[in-house]
Amino acid sequence: MLIVQGLVAGYGRVKVLHGISLEVAEGQLVTLIGSNGAGKTTTLRALSGMIKPEAGKITLAGADITGLPSFQITKRGLAHSPEGRRVFANLPVADNLLLGAFTRLTGSRPKGDVLRDRDRMYELFPRLAERRAQYAGTLSGGEQQMLAMARALMLNPQVLLLDEPSMGLAPKLVEEVFVIIARLKRERVTMLLVEQFAAAALDVADFGYVMENGRLSVSGPAAALKTDPAVRAAYLGAAH
Amino acid sequence: MLNSSLKALALAALAVFPFAISSPYYLHLLVVIMIYSVVTLGLDVVFGYTGEVSVGHAALFGIGAYTAGVLADSLGINFWWALPAGVIVAAGFGALLALPALRVTGPYLAMVTLAFGTIVQILINEMTFLTEGPLGIALKRPLVFDWRPFADVLPFLKMPAKKMADVQFYYIVVIALVLTLLVVSRLLASRFGRAFEALRDSPIACDCMGVSVYKHKVLAFVISAGFAGLGGVLFAYSELYIAPNNFGFDLSITFLLAVTMGGRKSRAGPIIGAAVVVFLPNLLADIQLFRIAAGIVAAVAVAGGAVHMFRKPEERGRIAIPVALCVAFFVFALYLERITDYKLTIFGLMILFVVYYLPDGIYGFVRQILPSQRLKHGIAGNEAAAWASAAPATGGEALLEVQQIVMQFGGLKALDRVDLSIRAGTVHGLIGPNGSGKSTMMNVLTGIYTPTAGSVVFLGSPVGGHTPSDIAGRGIARTFQNVQLFAELTLLENVMVGLHHTYKGGMAGAALCSPRERREELAARTRAAGLLRFVGLDGAAHEEARNLPYGKQRLLEIARALALDPKLLLLDEPAAGLTAPDIQDLMRIIRKIRDHGITMVLIEHHMDVVMSVCDTVSVLDFGQKIAEGTPGEVQRDEKVLSAYLGGSHATVAA
Amino acid sequence: MQILAQLIVSGIAVGMIYGVIAFGYQLTFATSKTLNFGQGEALMLGSLVGWSLVAYTGYLIMLPVVLAFGLLQGAVVERLGVRQAIKTKSEAGWIMATIALGIIFRNLAENIWGRDALKFPSPLPEAPLSFMGVNVLPMELVIVVGALAMMLAVEVFNRRSIYGRAFVATAGDRDAAGLVGVNTSLVITFSYAMSSMAAAFAGVLIAPVTLTGASMGGVLGLKGFAVAIIGGLSSGFGVVVGGLILGITENLTGFYLSTGYKDVPGLLLLLLVLSLKPSGLFGKAAIKKV
Repeated sequence: MLIVQGLVAGYGRVKVLHGISLEVAEGQLVTLIGSNGAGKTTTLRALSGMIKPEAGKITLAGADITGLPSFQITKRGLAHSPEGRRVFANLPVADNLLLGAFTRLTGSRPKGDVLRDRDRMYELFPRLAERRAQYAGTLSGGEQQMLAMARALMLNPQVLLLDEPSMGLAPKLVEEVFVIIARLKRERVTMLLVEQFAAAALDVADFGYVMENGRLSVSGPAAALKTDPAVRAAYLGAAH
Repeated sequence: MLNSSLKALALAALAVFPFAISSPYYLHLLVVIMIYSVVTLGLDVVFGYTGEVSVGHAALFGIGAYTAGVLADSLGINFWWALPAGVIVAAGFGALLALPALRVTGPYLAMVTLAFGTIVQILINEMTFLTEGPLGIALKRPLVFDWRPFADVLPFLKMPAKKMADVQFYYIVVIALVLTLLVVSRLLASRFGRAFEALRDSPIACDCMGVSVYKHKVLAFVISAGFAGLGGVLFAYSELYIAPNNFGFDLSITFLLAVTMGGRKSRAGPIIGAAVVVFLPNLLADIQLFRIAAGIVAAVAVAGGAVHMFRKPEERGRIAIPVALCVAFFVFALYLERITDYKLTIFGLMILFVVYYLPDGIYGFVRQILPSQRLKHGIAGNEAAAWASAAPATGGEALLEVQQIVMQFGGLKALDRVDLSIRAGTVHGLIGPNGSGKSTMMNVLTGIYTPTAGSVVFLGSPVGGHTPSDIAGRGIARTFQNVQLFAELTLLENVMVGLHHTYKGGMAGAALCSPRERREELAARTRAAGLLRFVGLDGAAHEEARNLPYGKQRLLEIARALALDPKLLLLDEPAAGLTAPDIQDLMRIIRKIRDHGITMVLIEHHMDVVMSVCDTVSVLDFGQKIAEGTPGEVQRDEKVLSAYLGGSHATVAA
Repeated sequence: MQILAQLIVSGIAVGMIYGVIAFGYQLTFATSKTLNFGQGEALMLGSLVGWSLVAYTGYLIMLPVVLAFGLLQGAVVERLGVRQAIKTKSEAGWIMATIALGIIFRNLAENIWGRDALKFPSPLPEAPLSFMGVNVLPMELVIVVGALAMMLAVEVFNRRSIYGRAFVATAGDRDAAGLVGVNTSLVITFSYAMSSMAAAFAGVLIAPVTLTGASMGGVLGLKGFAVAIIGGLSSGFGVVVGGLILGITENLTGFYLSTGYKDVPGLLLLLLVLSLKPSGLFGKAAIKKV
């Protein structure tokens, strides 16, 4: 579904990614783990067009999307729930969700099912249903994270990029988020998950890549990575 | 060498010019160019260096001129007293505008100065009791020194009294220009110039180095206003008649155009620009001349474009547009019948062209072609010189006390009643998952955020209500998670911005290059070199910071922070993005800093770093402190384990 | 007392015009943190295009044409003056470029319509109505109603339509708006179009009361600045109050001091507000991000 070959990107003169190649197959949940500053978030930003890649090729469902501006990449079905949530603080929850389906509401696409999808999001995230009229800026961190994920899902995306959905959340909420990710996986949503809690991410993922200093070092089925002694020592055991 | 002989040549040419030509017209033209140069050189301090746009320099120029005019007209006070008076009055108005307008970032200065320009014209028109309103004021040119007796001996001094006054005034303007050049050059080469550039590259880092962005922006504007005032006084005595419409909006834009077109951030640029804009009206008054000039510009553009295309064919599209525009402009010039009606349109088009295709100006363009003269070699730093003579702090008492801090953003509590006590002489680790509030804590400690509730007490006195630069001045230095260097300054200059506080001399000293200033500059340079040596970067001291690899940039940030002689150093993820050997270096550096008695707070995700250098570790999660103790204790804490592994305990049925 | 009431009432109408101009500044500042320094010229062009049309077409057809012209003019300003500068993050770039475009527009207008002030025919009777001894021109009532209606229309559009929400989203977080599929650079162009449309509308509203002409823009653009700063560049409601404050203060200064000093309180208020509450009387202070 999503194929990345030799991706090089950075900010100004500072290169962060030095040739990343990875693949996310349809219906799979792939995770990208690695220490802070390794380039995980930068990878996602380059995939969704928030920064322009300097080299390499990105293919989404067979179409080349390298170097397109982010709104066109989104139109082609790549949703990105960004680091730091980035909800529209100056709009109500309900409008945030509608905007997630912006590309479906404009042009000649069918529009009727958007409201149905929004109701589905309220079902998936009951907390958002309670706060639908509230401005997103007044939500708590956990609720904002739910909103960011729900907003991305409103696209009915081909691929969903999730950047640190657990960031800044209380342990109980982190559990909730992972339950939802697991549920999405059962519904065969294709996902690329960046996560600092490597163990949790590998638990839920099918396949994993380990990132170090802007390069991918190890990759393999999630279960295998979890038992890989090198990976364990470097990332899973970090807090022990 | 070449540079200084060029300067001497230019000065000699200026000295003999009045005797070499006979036409008073050209003498006057040169005087006006030099007066405009005084203004544009001053404007460059604000516009080129700090990056703020002033659309009111014509008004400040006018205030200088009217100060001279009013003093002469109402009080009979002569030229020599008008000079300082014009400078002071214009600088005063500059302060009046800059103090409120620069409090916030954004286009406020441009908006305020634009309004000011209009108001000044209205006031000059209305305050007839002082300014004679639209009638204007006439002045008399001073004759400084009657040299007719010497004309018998030196025949070239033989001239009528009027011409003598003209020539003497010419020399006064030459001296004013040379003094302006000297003062501006020295000021910009001093710590003030470094601050002006630094605050543009990274205002936050600048404040956190104890160099107040606000204060220095205001300072730059006041200096600039002073030069505009000086230019104004000279202008009044050059034209001998001033009226309100001499100092309108168009002139402000002309000054801006001159600086941009000539080349910002240089001495030659504003002077070249001034010459161009003085010739411009003459050019636009004569259609034939204008067509010839447009033809030359088009020819140069075509030739230059062709050369460029040959060298870099891939940039074809980008070059074709300006070349086509130049040619189209030439065609437009041929088509145009009455040029005076479209003077302003041409003027506007020139501004657009310069903004888009000549952003570095004529001088910048020439400098690009010429080989760079920047020093590339490193310097020999002496590590012993790096440290101020502070005695190592004895551990024990609390250096920093944080009590019940709450930081709320909308519905989000980034910090929720956190207590923290940092003991002097220790390394205090602050860990927790991403988004747990660690960086927010840094921003609260350095005054970037004002906490919603709670108190921070540093060295026994509260920090609340102080600006980041005040707090930095009291001894809290920091590095940034997203590296915040002064990208266009060299490594050495970056560290020297941190040493700003070591200078005791004032601005006058810097402008005049006093012995004390030279001594302090040398001392700062030596210390900066020592600090670079300490972090192992002395080999690249004259490189621009933006050319440094990411890992080294973090080390440079540490050197810069140490320049502040901090009592407390906050390191925000110094190991992020570093390779394993770099991390070993970093740990060695952190230990050495502690040996010099500097207390540190360390935010870090690399647990091996935290475990091996920290004395105490506090763990934040979800904005709350969930554990504190020695690294060993924290490592065994159940709550910490679950916070870090939160997700893994949620063993989900996939 | 009656004089005071009269001054206040006539200050309200002109204050609303300032409010509309300032509202235009807010629109572009919200999406791109840039302003059109030639906003006064957009007003002037709208007014003069209206003047040329009104004799042939009448008011009802002239108004939509002027609005459409405003949209187009704003889009041109954004494309030529602002887009590149946003890309290179050059504040000096867009300030200089929009000033240059303003100069060009004014010069072209001088060549097309001449330098003299022109009388704009009033669509309504020019005899004042009298309420308890206070005279009100019918056109002044139209200005107040028209200005409020215009701002309200934009607000409703922003809150109700998906495009309006995309506008608000872009203002809130440009990157995130791009991620949900909003073409943010088009939104910025659109904000300029709307901003110039508001100015053009203000131009035809005020022209029957004052006069129109190539030089009418400069001062009005400045007053708009003052009001935008007084009310707050980020507060929709603030510009109405800011406009009224400035309009009324000016009228009072003009009467009690001298008409020559009428334009001075604008700058003084502007400096005062910046010193006391830099984000404007009704603006919220922004949170810096590190």
